[in-house]
Amino acid sequence: MDSRDNIQLKKSTSRLCISAPGHGKSLRQIRVIITDLSRQIGFQEDEVAKIEMSVDEACANVVEHAYDQSRDWILKDNPKIELHIHTENDRLIIQIQDHGQGFDFAAYRPTNIIERIRAMRSGGYGIAIMRQFMDEVEYTSDPETGNTLRLVKYLKKT
Amino acid sequence: MKDFRIEQEPKGTVQVIRLHGSLDMYSFPRLETQLQTLFQQKHHCVLLDCSQLDYIGSAGLGALIGFAKQARENNGDLKLLHVPERIYKIIELLGFTKVLQVFNAEDTAVTSFPKP
Repeated sequence: MDSRDNIQLKKSTSRLCISAPGHGKSLRQIRVIITDLSRQIGFQEDEVAKIEMSVDEACANVVEHAYDQSRDWILKDNPKIELHIHTENDRLIIQIQDHGQGFDFAAYRPTNIIERIRAMRSGGYGIAIMRQFMDEVEYTSDPETGNTLRLVKYLKKT
Repeated sequence: MKDFRIEQEPKGTVQVIRLHGSLDMYSFPRLETQLQTLFQQKHHCVLLDCSQLDYIGSAGLGALIGFAKQARENNGDLKLLHVPERIYKIIELLGFTKVLQVFNAEDTAVTSFPKP
C-alpha cells in the first residue's frame, strides 16, 4: 500500500485501486495518477487529456452531488471515492464508486454542449463531457455496493 | 504539480489575472471570489493569462462563460491569453472557444477590449 497524503493506492499486476477522501482536495492527485497511468498504457496525449477530464468530472460530481457537503452525516462518516482501474482487451476500464446519494441516470436528458455554450450557461456539462470523451459511460446505483460509474476508453492502435 | 495561485495586474482599464496550477472545482472558488470583487468594483474587462495553467475543468469553464456574459452586459468582456496547447485542444473540441476569445499576444488582447 502506497499513499499520497490521504490517498491510498493499491496496485497489483493487472489492477490499480485508489481510495481518496470524498473532497475536492483529492481531485488534483487523482488526475495526476490517472494521467500517468494513461500515458503508461500507451494513450496519445490528446486522449490522455480526455480521460483526465472525464475522471475529474466524474469525481467532481461525487463530491458535489453524491457527497453533498450540506448533509450533516458527511462530516462524521469520512466518505471515500474509490477508483478501480484495469485494462482488458485494449480497453481502459475505470470504475468510480461512492456511497453517497444516488443519481437517476435513466432520467437524465443528454445535454447538447454546443447549445449550452452558445446560450452561455454556466453549468451542467459534466456528464455530456464524459459521454463525448469516453467510449462507454455506464452508471449503476445499488443500496449494498453504492453508486458506480464505469468509464471505458478504447486504446486505438496507430 | 503546482499549487493554485492567482496574480492580478492592471493594464489600463483591463485587469490581467495570471493563473498558476489547476483550475478545478476545489480551486475555482478562489478565482470566482476575485472576479466577483472585480465586477463589484466595476472592472468588467478581464484578461485571464493561462500560460501557467495545467488543467481546467468544466465547472471552471462554465463559470468563466457566466462571468463573460456578465462582463458583456456591462460593456466589458472576459478573454483568455496564452492557453497551453493541451488545454486549448480540449476547450476548442468542446466548443468553449466559440464564446471565449483566446489570444496569443498580451498587447493585442489588451487593446481588443471595448473602450470605456
